[in-house]
Amino acid sequence: MVWQGSIRGCVTAGLEERGSGRGRLLQTPQWAPYRQHNRYAAYLWGVAAPGICTLIDWPLRHTLGPASILMIYLLGVFLVASRFGRAASIIASLLSAPAFAFFFAPPIFSLAISDIENVVGLAVMMVVANVTSNLLERVRFQADIAAQRESLATALYCLSRDLSEAQDEQAVVRTAVSNIYGELGVPSVLLLPDAGGSLRYPAESPLWQSLRGADLGTAQWLFDHNKSIIGDNVDIPVKDHVTYFPLESAHGMVGVLAIRTASVPKLSNREVTTFLNTFLNQIAQALVRVRLAMEAREATLQAEAEALRNSLLSAISHDLRTPLTRIMGAAGILAERENSLGPEERNDFKRAILEEAERMSELMSKILDMARFAVGKIVLHREWNAIEEILGGALNRLEKALQDRPVRIQLPEGLPLVWVDAVLLQQVFTNLIENAIKYTAASSPIDITAERFASMLNFAVADRGPGIPKGQEERLFEKFYRLESETAKSGVGLGLTLCRAIVEAHAGTIHAANRSGGGAVFSMTLPLHEPPQVSLDESFVSEP
Amino acid sequence: MTQSSPLILLIEDDPQTRRFLKTSLGGRGWRIVEAESGKTGLSMAKSENPDLAILDLGLPDLDGVSVVRCLRLVSDLPILILSARTQERDKVEALDAGADDYLAKPFSTGELDARLRALLRRVVKAAINGETFETGELKVDLARRKVFMAGNEIRLTPIEYRILHLLIRHAGLVVTHRHLLKDVWGPDHVHDSHYLRIYMGQLRHKLEADPARPRYLLTEVGVGYRLSGND
Repeated sequence: MVWQGSIRGCVTAGLEERGSGRGRLLQTPQWAPYRQHNRYAAYLWGVAAPGICTLIDWPLRHTLGPASILMIYLLGVFLVASRFGRAASIIASLLSAPAFAFFFAPPIFSLAISDIENVVGLAVMMVVANVTSNLLERVRFQADIAAQRESLATALYCLSRDLSEAQDEQAVVRTAVSNIYGELGVPSVLLLPDAGGSLRYPAESPLWQSLRGADLGTAQWLFDHNKSIIGDNVDIPVKDHVTYFPLESAHGMVGVLAIRTASVPKLSNREVTTFLNTFLNQIAQALVRVRLAMEAREATLQAEAEALRNSLLSAISHDLRTPLTRIMGAAGILAERENSLGPEERNDFKRAILEEAERMSELMSKILDMARFAVGKIVLHREWNAIEEILGGALNRLEKALQDRPVRIQLPEGLPLVWVDAVLLQQVFTNLIENAIKYTAASSPIDITAERFASMLNFAVADRGPGIPKGQEERLFEKFYRLESETAKSGVGLGLTLCRAIVEAHAGTIHAANRSGGGAVFSMTLPLHEPPQVSLDESFVSEP
Repeated sequence: MTQSSPLILLIEDDPQTRRFLKTSLGGRGWRIVEAESGKTGLSMAKSENPDLAILDLGLPDLDGVSVVRCLRLVSDLPILILSARTQERDKVEALDAGADDYLAKPFSTGELDARLRALLRRVVKAAINGETFETGELKVDLARRKVFMAGNEIRLTPIEYRILHLLIRHAGLVVTHRHLLKDVWGPDHVHDSHYLRIYMGQLRHKLEADPARPRYLLTEVGVGYRLSGND
């Protein structure tokens, strides 16, 4: 397997040098700290233990038989083995034998042993000591391996958790670099290809764990030639103590990871190799994931733009063609045979042209507004405004459409000023009132109310029309959604979408519901801000 | 200014719009000189001595705001701005720079007519002071500083009166927030829009039957206020 090979290659080729890393992986069996620092203390205990056993046994030499004395030596060796490892226990057992022979086995004060029983006992003790210390050593090794595995698993878990939170390439780069530093204690950099396939440094400013000065040429070569060259027994390029790892996924090469290896300890352990393998694999997977997500986002945006274009086109062709037809007809008649018309007829045609053109102009500006707000991001120009004024402005704009329709406005006394973009909020009121006009009979009343709740201001625009079909309350705010899609009621289905975008830009909410007693109600909530102090001193005012 | 037929300087680059405006205004007995660029417009403002200028904001050579500034350096002739919908901010900037009113494209000849008459009247009114102002049921005795609504006297605070007075001086025309703030509270307060909103609200509650649907003190959201003209 290419991947396996490349990792093995890099471990043997790149990580030869041994240094003082600080990462979590360094706490592995080979470098367990007590082996490094307390080795001599362990040997010392190996020497001391038989001495202590001798001191304990000496006063008891008349009460205990040689077998029991041997058991105490065995206990000493066992304790040394369990605490200080095999080397110390061997020392202890090798010293215990002559000590027993010299002090306890007759003839006393001579290394010679006369009793065959004692010779057998001593031999058994040596064997048991050796076997137990071996067993203990293996148990400890297994425990260390387990701890190391746990630490590797934790590292992988941390990485995959961090990577799963990464939403874009930048975040993957940051996560990879900081996790590699956390585990290996070395700086690294993730080189990703641009649109043209050339590897680049990340666009963001480097982290403190980032590797600087990686050789883009080497990385590029690896990136371009990975498939054909890298395999078993092929060394991963190492240059100036920097090792370059290809990141590969099912979709091909995704990038190159450069790690400074000069300061990494020798990592020949299989576990570590597999770990690195998985580690790099996860980074590659995450990169692929965010890339696919980005492509999906772009596709959605494109689809939305496409839908917007279609919707605008159909609105333009449908809603503007009708008045245009009438204008062309009337103007044509006037241009071709004005003289044959009576003065009354002539005026009718002229007025028709004017009225239809006005309607077209209104429609046109509405469609343009919708398109502008729907495509662009909403930028607020906030000022302190009076709700009364904004609402008045909206009603004024709709004067013609409202005609004599009853509009009941209930604003409580002393409403505070609101910190909003007046032009956009007026657009919200205009759209809501316009909807009420569009979907209800000409004499049906519209109720507009405002209420203050602690630090919120609630508004409602309510009508007595047919209401909203059950379950459609939220869909109304979707782009291009129209209640009656193919009717004469003009619109592109962006009005409420725009309302919601504007209200949400103000950190408010807007919802639709059916009104008790029939009709629809659109309620909007805006947060109130602490208005600035106003001095009511008027003494400075000069006479106009 | 000549009593019979005012001279209007039309600065607009689109020949079709120029032609339509010329016909429409000419029919009302107004004389027109045309300029198709900002620079020609500026030089004609000096040479022709017009009574009023109509200025399109989207000119090919100069931006509308600088044309307004240059015009204001040499004369105080009334300036009416024609703006497209995408030029909201330019419009306010041009008004703050000294333009007197605006019309959003497309507009009807009726609207244009009303604006031009309001603008020309402002010039006349500046000359005559100490008269009474009347529109609808609102009557203001400018000499005695008294305000009447349907015959009843309404008591205004000094600031309220000052705001009303400024709007009367520009009756029928838009007065920007900045202009009002500067005139009433002074140049240090041009950004204190909350002062204006509060006093405007008070004034409306005193003068309007339904403050949310005003008849006299109209709001031009994002631009300023307009006192409905006494046509």
